[in-house]
Amino acid sequence: MSTIIVGIGNRVLSDDSVGIKVADTLATALRSRSDVVTSELWGGGLRLMETLNGYERAIIIDAIITKDGKPGSVYILKPSDLRQSRNTYSTHDGGFQEALEVGAMLGLNLPPQITIWAVEADDVETYSENLTREVERAVPIVVAGVMRQIGLEEQLTLSVGEQQ
Amino acid sequence: MKRVTINPITRLEGHGKIDIFLDEEGNVANTYFQVPELRGFEQFCVGRPAEDMPVITSRICGVCPEAHHMASSKALDRLFGVEPTAAAKKIRELFYMAFFVTDHTTHFYALGGPDFIVGPDAAPGERNLLGVVKKAGLDVGKQVIACRARNHHVIEILGGRGIHPVAGVPGGWSRHVSAAERAEIETIATQNVEFALFTLKLFDQIVLSNPAYLDLIMSDVYHHQTYSMGTVDEQNRLNFYDGKIRIVDPKGREFVKYETADYAQHIAERVEPWTYLKFPYLKKIGWKGFVDGVESGVYTATPLSRLNAADRLATPLAQEHFERFYQTLGAKTVEGRHEPVHYRLATHWARLIELLYAAERMQELARDPEITSPDIRQIPQNIAGEGVGSVEAPRGTLIHHYVSDEKAVLTKVNLVVGTTNNHAAISMSIRKAAEKFIRGFEVVEEGFLNRVEMAFRLYDPCLSCATHTLPGEMPLIVNIRNHQGESLQSLRRDR
Repeated sequence: MSTIIVGIGNRVLSDDSVGIKVADTLATALRSRSDVVTSELWGGGLRLMETLNGYERAIIIDAIITKDGKPGSVYILKPSDLRQSRNTYSTHDGGFQEALEVGAMLGLNLPPQITIWAVEADDVETYSENLTREVERAVPIVVAGVMRQIGLEEQLTLSVGEQQ
Repeated sequence: MKRVTINPITRLEGHGKIDIFLDEEGNVANTYFQVPELRGFEQFCVGRPAEDMPVITSRICGVCPEAHHMASSKALDRLFGVEPTAAAKKIRELFYMAFFVTDHTTHFYALGGPDFIVGPDAAPGERNLLGVVKKAGLDVGKQVIACRARNHHVIEILGGRGIHPVAGVPGGWSRHVSAAERAEIETIATQNVEFALFTLKLFDQIVLSNPAYLDLIMSDVYHHQTYSMGTVDEQNRLNFYDGKIRIVDPKGREFVKYETADYAQHIAERVEPWTYLKFPYLKKIGWKGFVDGVESGVYTATPLSRLNAADRLATPLAQEHFERFYQTLGAKTVEGRHEPVHYRLATHWARLIELLYAAERMQELARDPEITSPDIRQIPQNIAGEGVGSVEAPRGTLIHHYVSDEKAVLTKVNLVVGTTNNHAAISMSIRKAAEKFIRGFEVVEEGFLNRVEMAFRLYDPCLSCATHTLPGEMPLIVNIRNHQGESLQSLRRDR
């Protein structure tokens, strides 16, 4: 199954980079897999929808901030779980759910299966290449989870072995 | 004082908050808008090699990495005391025009335009690209997606990567354009010109032909007389990539024109106790508060201000639309040039004229024989130790200023980003809209939220520099409270 893995975030903004860091690790672990593409993106709306065009499965990894959320918590979500604002003023190209609807309406070839792995962030407002402690701990959990999701436990063992 | 809060908690690409303070009678006393503070960018950069900056700064913001990349590359030209080759300048500008086309297209169809195409009183869930497609047709949606795709492709070809460009280097550009790429880009530019004309026609049909919308654009609520800033070439024509920064007064007379490197002599920054945001103003006029007029140092840097600051546009079709713009909105001629237009909602129209200009300019550059020259870089021989570079970002004039030691390791970094220029003007626009729609503790008109947002949205403010983190709560709440903090009225937009 052709699969795209997208890490979303800002590489230099503390926990906002968690999705990209997970995707980086997956890219290394999955380099021999021609049916899996890993990618990096800064944000969610139209551009994300366009990036997913043409794949059978999409796995998105991003930071999330929820009310009273505990940093480092991992959530597995569907696009419809994201409660989107559709009319705030602080965005640039619209919400993801809305973008998916546009894409479907225009007949784009969007993945029937989209999973979002979200990691509760602590700090997304400080310029730094480092994750905060609890979020850092979530990285291997998400990496393992995504590998399991796409049925690649074997590669997981190998890649962990290589790192050691 | 009572306080009304509009607080969309988090959105995919950043979030902001509007506070509206009421006086004893329940009328608007003041309004403030705030965005999350991003800490420590300067410290993050200091101590790094200067040549890393075009790549680092392109990561500040996911919305306009190309603008930061370009301003940064130009600052490095100066810091290393090297003049890029003619071909390099043209490739940079070509790349930059592709970015402008996609950015302005996205703003119009996904953000600003829905207020008109779908309607300012439509349900919020309809006022987006989806609503536009439903209203204007599938073909429009297909064209928007196709426009974005083909220009992202150009950005990738020229910039070296799709999301964060890497090709800008001090003294030039690291990737030359092949003959086949040039031909492809020319075809794309021609499609862009057609698309821009199509979009202007759509604007004409939906907005300009509708007297109610024209009234809205020309209403007092969205009217402010401030100074206008924009970059111009030697003939005072608008230029996005290079030139001098020109400021005209509210009557249209040239106030000052200066080299980017001299920005600190002309622009100062006001600090207010209630926010970490800075409010740039014209130094020679001084800060007189959040007020209009020739005596106030407030200025704007937007598509509208850029048209106001220029005498004309450099490409033929855009120039036709430029003239029509000033005729339609009733601007007179002063000292041989048009009087500025101060209807802030006209910024949406100005943005589309800029879209056409960018598309035409892209076409010109793609047809320039020098664009395929392999002579794309002057190798730096020196370290001047200081460099200032600027471009017009879609949201306003963007300045990067670096100071380094003798080994080109950074010791100081200062950025004035496009939206920052407009902080005072945005605050004033929100206040005026709020004053109009809140009286005696009550929101007096349905659609209040959107009317206030429209005052904000026309600036296309880029708060995305902040964060795009996934949303965890409902987007928009307005609470109107009495002095004991009890909620008199609560407006909630939840989906």
